[in-house]
Amino acid sequence: MKFIHIADVHLGAKPDKDKPWGKEREGHSWLAFTEVITKAKEEQAQLLLIAGDLFHRQPLIRELKDVSYQFSRIPQTQVVLIAGNRDYLGENSCYRTFSWGENVHFIKEQRIHCIDLEGIGVRVYGLSYGRREIQEDLCSGISVKEDGCYNILLAHGGDEKHMPFEEGTLGKAPYDYVALGHIHKPMKMIGDRVVMAGALQPVSSEDTGEHGYFMGELEKDGVKVDFYPLHYCEYVSLNMKVNKDITTDALKDVLVEQIKKAPVYQLFKVNLTGSRDSSAPIELEALARLEQVAQVTDRCHPEYDFEKLKLKYQQQILGRYIEALEKMPQDEIVKKALYYGVEALLAE
Amino acid sequence: MKITEIQIKNFGKLHNINIRPLPGINVIYGENETGKSTLQQFISGMLFGIEKQQPQGRPGKNDSYQQYEPWGSSSYYAGGLKFTVDGKPFFLERNFYHKEKSAKLTNEADLEELSVEQGDLEMLLGGMKRETYENTFCISQVSVETKKEFADILQNFFINASLGREGGIDLPGARKRLEDGKEKAQANYKEKRNARREGEEKLLLEEKLLKKDTEQLRKQKKDGYRSLLHKGQNLMVPPEHDTNQMAEYLRDIRQQKEQQEYRLKFGASLFLMLVGLLVGIWNGAEHLFEVPAAGWIVLEVLLGCFAFLGAVGMCYWRRKSKQLKRLRLQQEEEKKEMEQYNSMEREQQKVQERQEKQAREQAVEELLEIQYLDKQAELTNLQEELEECHVPGEEELEYERQMKAFELAGKTLEQLSQEAYQDTREQMEQEMSRILSELTNGKYKKVGLDSQMNLVATAEKRRLYPWQLSQGTMEQMYLALRMGAGGFFTREEPMPILLDEVFADFDEKRLEGALQWLGKQNQQIFLFTCQKREIEILERRGIAFGKIMLSR
Repeated sequence: MKFIHIADVHLGAKPDKDKPWGKEREGHSWLAFTEVITKAKEEQAQLLLIAGDLFHRQPLIRELKDVSYQFSRIPQTQVVLIAGNRDYLGENSCYRTFSWGENVHFIKEQRIHCIDLEGIGVRVYGLSYGRREIQEDLCSGISVKEDGCYNILLAHGGDEKHMPFEEGTLGKAPYDYVALGHIHKPMKMIGDRVVMAGALQPVSSEDTGEHGYFMGELEKDGVKVDFYPLHYCEYVSLNMKVNKDITTDALKDVLVEQIKKAPVYQLFKVNLTGSRDSSAPIELEALARLEQVAQVTDRCHPEYDFEKLKLKYQQQILGRYIEALEKMPQDEIVKKALYYGVEALLAE
Repeated sequence: MKITEIQIKNFGKLHNINIRPLPGINVIYGENETGKSTLQQFISGMLFGIEKQQPQGRPGKNDSYQQYEPWGSSSYYAGGLKFTVDGKPFFLERNFYHKEKSAKLTNEADLEELSVEQGDLEMLLGGMKRETYENTFCISQVSVETKKEFADILQNFFINASLGREGGIDLPGARKRLEDGKEKAQANYKEKRNARREGEEKLLLEEKLLKKDTEQLRKQKKDGYRSLLHKGQNLMVPPEHDTNQMAEYLRDIRQQKEQQEYRLKFGASLFLMLVGLLVGIWNGAEHLFEVPAAGWIVLEVLLGCFAFLGAVGMCYWRRKSKQLKRLRLQQEEEKKEMEQYNSMEREQQKVQERQEKQAREQAVEELLEIQYLDKQAELTNLQEELEECHVPGEEELEYERQMKAFELAGKTLEQLSQEAYQDTREQMEQEMSRILSELTNGKYKKVGLDSQMNLVATAEKRRLYPWQLSQGTMEQMYLALRMGAGGFFTREEPMPILLDEVFADFDEKRLEGALQWLGKQNQQIFLFTCQKREIEILERRGIAFGKIMLSR
């Protein structure tokens, strides 16, 4: 039985809202979703599993109609979906009143509920979020009928505020496949059997790396799934080690060269490390303005040997400054202040 | 610093004098006018140079250049000084003559020539300035009392200590840099925050509009459709009758008239027939037995015709009347039927109407419900977005952290600088107190500085300014101040102490105390005196010293 597993499509999300490509990014979730439907049609998948957060927020009627239309394009495919923490089934949720096509099975229940898809010999267990957070694990310890039907668990969560299940426990349960969502990084958690689909496309610049869907075959002797990336957008972390001699322009040239080599759908998160020259700091804004650069973070520090400085400027204000700050609780502000102060005191 | 050789070529009244002082105490003894003060000024001049004042400047006692200009040969005005710093020998030569002013400093160990202009000498002196020296270790004959400028020097020293200048650090500059950094971070932070707030306000406005919409929908849902339907009902009311009552009524009247007419005509025909018949019979009976006359027969025929016409008319009108009667009956029946039918139809229509109304109601209700839900979902989303808007973005947080870090750095520096100021001051006061206590054999244990940097002694919980004390005690206090402070100004390499007739006002006991204290110092000491008591005490006390005799 061929199936597709997706999660966290986040329809309606607006990533990089304040960037020039913000408008374009808004459309990516819909495009990716449509592509998956087309794929299901082409591949004649019998089952489409959507493990929550199909929508970024509460779905509107017209959005549901759009989605319903997409599902109607694949009448041969059974679609099972649940509401996640973002599109949870609130009191006024449009999910409650919307009527889906015959091939669509929306699990409204907030306790594990089983959908029997007799036509394809599959049972899907799942539950929807009725609120934003579910702090208990509601999907472990469910008794599963074993009668030759395939048993699939469809669940959304995996962190402490969203159904803190453990993949080990889920792995031990007699499911033929566990289709998970919520964590945006796609990963096979236990072989091909317990899979976190990850976001279909990155929802924010935090979601680095490739994103896409899982497609596979469920057979009597096991399950086999593969990851199929979609390339509407991908965030790539780019670490650049700088030294005192490098100038903003030189760095810009290196970056432009890197970007030229990369495919157009990639957006870069530039991370500057190493030591810098405090008298001629690198202009982060100039780098951030480059095309395909989503973010520039400066983690450079001037290279100081604080122990040596303390010794050299013992009993003097610089030495005392270092000592005073080292005595404070070392949070990020104090660490920064240490560098700022020493930098300011040593400047000529 | 230890002076190893003083070479005076031509300085004031002194010519070609070579002195090799000891590293410890040196007593320079000479009667008045033998050049003791000149020798002191020579040493100071060698170390710090002598500037000729501007020509227009009034020559006065402060103009050392003129004061010690060699008598007779003003262009030959020079000398040399050999000294060691940190064990290394140096040779300093100066030509004071203002037209050929020069200074030459040589490291005697490797004969490397150093540059006085570029501050090599200043470095050897540990950064000590002339004014500071003259207010500490170099005490001239005029007074042990420090000059007004010393208050400023001390104040500056504390400030500099608090500014960290000792380590070549520029604290005001650092402060400025931190301030600039903070301002920049703050500007960035505010920009990000304001952008977020703007977005928030926009969302709030949207929320307001949406709430209004939702409220309206809710109201409509509640009672809106009823008024909508009521209007429709008025329009839909079907006409109660589709026949024209007036026409019917008029027809009825017309038909009644017709009937009457028919009856009248029927009566007339009957009458005509009867008259014809009766007159015919009567006429016949009259003439039954007579031979019929021709007139009679015509009359009879005429009468027969009358009767016949009457009968025909009677039959015709009777039929006409009957027809009309039937028609009217039919009409009556039709009307009844019609009425019956109408009432049934109305009933049916009513049912249908009710059903339609219900359907319409339901449709409207459903539509409103969907719209309402949609709006509600939109509202929820908007509120969620608003909530997310409350959380500052990563960049904003970063700028905020930067801002706070700059602030913390600035504050910490400020605090440390305050502490350093206080610390240095306290340390100096402690040192001065220690010296004073030794000089006065413990009578005055505490000496300090007030906010104007004036000396204050504390004895038996009383604050005493020098002028409230005896001349001798006052001088002891100033000596303590000078020696104590001096140590702070020359931390790395102590400068020689030059004392020109300082102990003139000291009694025997105090002098002994002072000399004893001096004997314990590691510094080189030059004691200029015109009296023999210093030498006597030093000898009596067994303190090693060098004796340099000056004579006229």
